[in-house]
Amino acid sequence: MSTTPDKLVERYLKHLDVELDDLPRDRRREILDEIAGHITEARAGLEHESEADVRNILEGLGDPAEIAVDARERFDVQPAASAPPYKPGWMEVGALVLLLAGAVILPIFGWLIGVVLLWLSNAWNVRDKVIGTLFVPGGLGVPIAVMVLATSGGGGSCIGPITQVTTDGTRVQRTQQATQCVEDAGTPYLAIAGVAILLVTPIITTAYLAYRLRRHPAPANA
Amino acid sequence: MVALKQDALLAQMRKGTLQYCVLALLADEERYGFDLVRALAETDGMVTSEGTIYPLLSRLRRDGLVETTWRESTAGPPRRYYRLTRGGRAALEGFIGEWGRFRHAVDHFVERKAG
Repeated sequence: MSTTPDKLVERYLKHLDVELDDLPRDRRREILDEIAGHITEARAGLEHESEADVRNILEGLGDPAEIAVDARERFDVQPAASAPPYKPGWMEVGALVLLLAGAVILPIFGWLIGVVLLWLSNAWNVRDKVIGTLFVPGGLGVPIAVMVLATSGGGGSCIGPITQVTTDGTRVQRTQQATQCVEDAGTPYLAIAGVAILLVTPIITTAYLAYRLRRHPAPANA
Repeated sequence: MVALKQDALLAQMRKGTLQYCVLALLADEERYGFDLVRALAETDGMVTSEGTIYPLLSRLRRDGLVETTWRESTAGPPRRYYRLTRGGRAALEGFIGEWGRFRHAVDHFVERKAG
């Protein structure tokens, strides 16, 4: 038996899962399970299964988009179609690039423009937008700024804000800060881990947002 | 344009009455999803996309018109069987009365023209 029919079924169910995205999770699961069961039953009834047979079964079930339209109506779920139609384009790409690296290109404002684009786009839902905004404000600008400050901070063992405080502090405070710097120098792992998290988190967030973008199927045959 | 509207009307009528056809199919025996779909598909013109039965079944279950039980199958994985609840039976009986009157009324005007 070739694997093509299995692939067809898998692709169909995945497509359906995406189309049913607007439904409450339990309902979506129930419908997906039942349709998967339907396909299993139908395939079990075939004597010699061919790819054409499986295509006929899937065609009989109908276009996933059509099933989703019907399901939304049955459950009185406001269709995503009532929102302006989704179009991937410069806004989404701009949002992703500026959220990640905007602050490096144009400090603070670059990232802010990214946030504005993120919220203007209708490619993401509110949850995605909140995630994109909170993780992490400034994107890569923050860890890069921290690293620049850390390396330009004289001995290199003082990190970020501490160096700033010492510059406008009094002589006494400066000594205290200097002591603290020496103490910090003993455990730089924590600081390195902090910077690493600040570096990795915005990259993960951007990857996630790009993945969510891909979950929107291109309009079929349009 | 007129033909398009008529198609839409027929689609809506089919959609609206489908749930009662499902309830009627469950009136005498419990059935699993695939079995129900097969029974509906036997009558031409009732179901265009078989997959749309499943959101409907899910909705009927949540409205308390049908209830379900899992049963082992002799061939393959267990099946979810649907059967009418008391509420489902009442809804079906109510519809049968209304439908009879409606059909009679429409026939009264339409058939005179056709005959």
